[in-house]
Amino acid sequence: MTPRLRAIAPLLLSSALALVAPGQAQAHAVVTESSLQTQPVKPGHATTVQLQFNAGVELSLSRIFLVSKGDVYQPITARTGKKPGEILVPLPALSEGEYAIKYKIFAADGHLTESVIRFFVKEESNKR
Amino acid sequence: MYMQGLANFLDDFLGGLMLISYALVIGSLLWSIWILRVWSPSERASTTIIARGIALLRFGAIALAATQGTKLLIKALVLSATLGELPMAAYASTVQFQAGLVRLVLAVGIVWLTGRMRAAPVHRPYWNTLLALSIPLVISGAWLVHAVGRFELRSPLMAMTVVHQLAGAVWVGGIAQLLSLWRLGAVDREARALWPTAISRFGWLGGLSVLLLLVTGLPLAWTYIGSWDGLFGTGYGSLVVTKSVLLLIALYFAYRNHSAGRSWRQGATGGAIVSKVPYYIEAETFILVGILFIAATLSSQPPSVDIPDLAVPVADVIEMFTPHEPRLTSPSHEELLAGEAGRVAVVGKVPSPAATLWSDYNHNISGIFLTGMGLVAMLYYLFGFGWARYWPLGFIGLSIFLFFRSDAETWPLGPIGFWESTFGNGEVFQHRIATLLAFCLGVMELRARTNPDARKLTFMFPVLCAFGGVLLLTHAHAEFELRSEYLIQSTHTAMGLLAVIMASGRWLELRLATPEGYTESRVAGFVAILAMFVIGNFLLFYREPLY
Repeated sequence: MTPRLRAIAPLLLSSALALVAPGQAQAHAVVTESSLQTQPVKPGHATTVQLQFNAGVELSLSRIFLVSKGDVYQPITARTGKKPGEILVPLPALSEGEYAIKYKIFAADGHLTESVIRFFVKEESNKR
Repeated sequence: MYMQGLANFLDDFLGGLMLISYALVIGSLLWSIWILRVWSPSERASTTIIARGIALLRFGAIALAATQGTKLLIKALVLSATLGELPMAAYASTVQFQAGLVRLVLAVGIVWLTGRMRAAPVHRPYWNTLLALSIPLVISGAWLVHAVGRFELRSPLMAMTVVHQLAGAVWVGGIAQLLSLWRLGAVDREARALWPTAISRFGWLGGLSVLLLLVTGLPLAWTYIGSWDGLFGTGYGSLVVTKSVLLLIALYFAYRNHSAGRSWRQGATGGAIVSKVPYYIEAETFILVGILFIAATLSSQPPSVDIPDLAVPVADVIEMFTPHEPRLTSPSHEELLAGEAGRVAVVGKVPSPAATLWSDYNHNISGIFLTGMGLVAMLYYLFGFGWARYWPLGFIGLSIFLFFRSDAETWPLGPIGFWESTFGNGEVFQHRIATLLAFCLGVMELRARTNPDARKLTFMFPVLCAFGGVLLLTHAHAEFELRSEYLIQSTHTAMGLLAVIMASGRWLELRLATPEGYTESRVAGFVAILAMFVIGNFLLFYREPLY
């Protein structure tokens, strides 16, 4: 191995290790409360889901999707609520079944968080 | 997705590099004032020594400007990849962008100023200006930390974090300056003469910084963690535990250095202060760099106190580290691939037992390689068996195993061809490189341990271990809606900690391999091997939660 190769070997290995390491989405802004826990989504009724984050959210740099069966993504235009960190997610009328709210949130501390909240639409309860 | 993953990684990795750069700037400034006494014409160090200190400070400022600028750019790339567009006006209006830009401008200002200081290292107005630029540089950090996005105790937490960072910077920057002074001492008589005094003076400065670290760190930890389950059952808490362990090790080295300085003050000449302390400082540097990368990673973790319902009970974490019978059989490719579609689905997700068993098998067999290498290496250290020097061969075996097992769907075991899979899929490409490099690591270390002419190669192993450890630690991004992700991550964090210890131990072994330091060298080497053995055990007994 030449001296130059030796010099770049750590860099190469570090890059390689980093790339194969479990590099999921960064995780800072988290949902601390969700109206899905207390107010189940009923079939056939448009609903607004309230999500409370633990940190300030830059909504203009965030994206929220409704995901339905077959992983079909539908963009949702969310808006901020009255409380700091509160985001309101309007959902259209949905038929019974499993759905998810997938969000990519840019927190006020500069971290981008990507996560999923899964829920069921049914008459009695939406808790899994 | 490939670029986004790379950009996410770089974003986080840059956080660690930024902290190191920041420490070089601020720590060097305090070093110049306290140790080199630049403001005291009667006491100050020689111009050569001060110029050397300025050079390191300037290097830190250049690195800070480069990393801060790159971070702003990378963040834009991440946003662009995630959102499908870059709303530049919205991005530019964020606190992060503005505070980052301020820090970038200040760093560039320091680069310019230190460029002028090279011609006049003791010109007092320059030092006054440097201090004037450094104060807002420190304060600007308040808008770049965790606390800025919080709703409760925002200002106190921001202030406390800034002081915490400042204290860490004084320690790390001072250590870097000590190493620089030691190297200068090889060619400069005045630097050699200053060395014991510098060690002694730094003892006080370092002690003060440790005190500040604790005074600010404990309330921060209490506020952000808040419970035992939070401490041991979340990514944030486990990183704080890891950081604390590394801090204790760094304090041990600091204590040894301080003791040597005290002996010197009491009249002892030579001794440990020249024969061992420089190498303790080098080993301490590995540890401190690890701590800074953990600090950077902490800022991208949700505080434990915010996710009490997602914290994993301590008993479950202990269970992850409890020995189990290794899994020596693997599911077939067909079984694995059949479950993948359900496992990765957002809606209708179905956990895949085959994927879990596949992963268990990969980890457990890798554990056999590492545990075996550790045992053979121990035989060499304890009994001196010549054949046992060949233990790095295990890395070559491990790389072959990874080659076959990393990507089930690709050549040589899967249906997708070698070239098609290697260059058509970013993840497979990464696995191929990692496999190749594991192979190279084995070859290099084998040569280093068996060929007396390959002495320089010996230092590659600890450096690579440190990088690997840092990367395991910085990738502690548990996907927080799943507890199982944290359980997996807890083992990787523990292995990252051990890898840093391994690096530090091996480095000390090599550096202290003198008649005077023989015993300590052997002990340090054994500790490094023991750390590898324990990593092997973690892998050997690894059980992936079903998800």
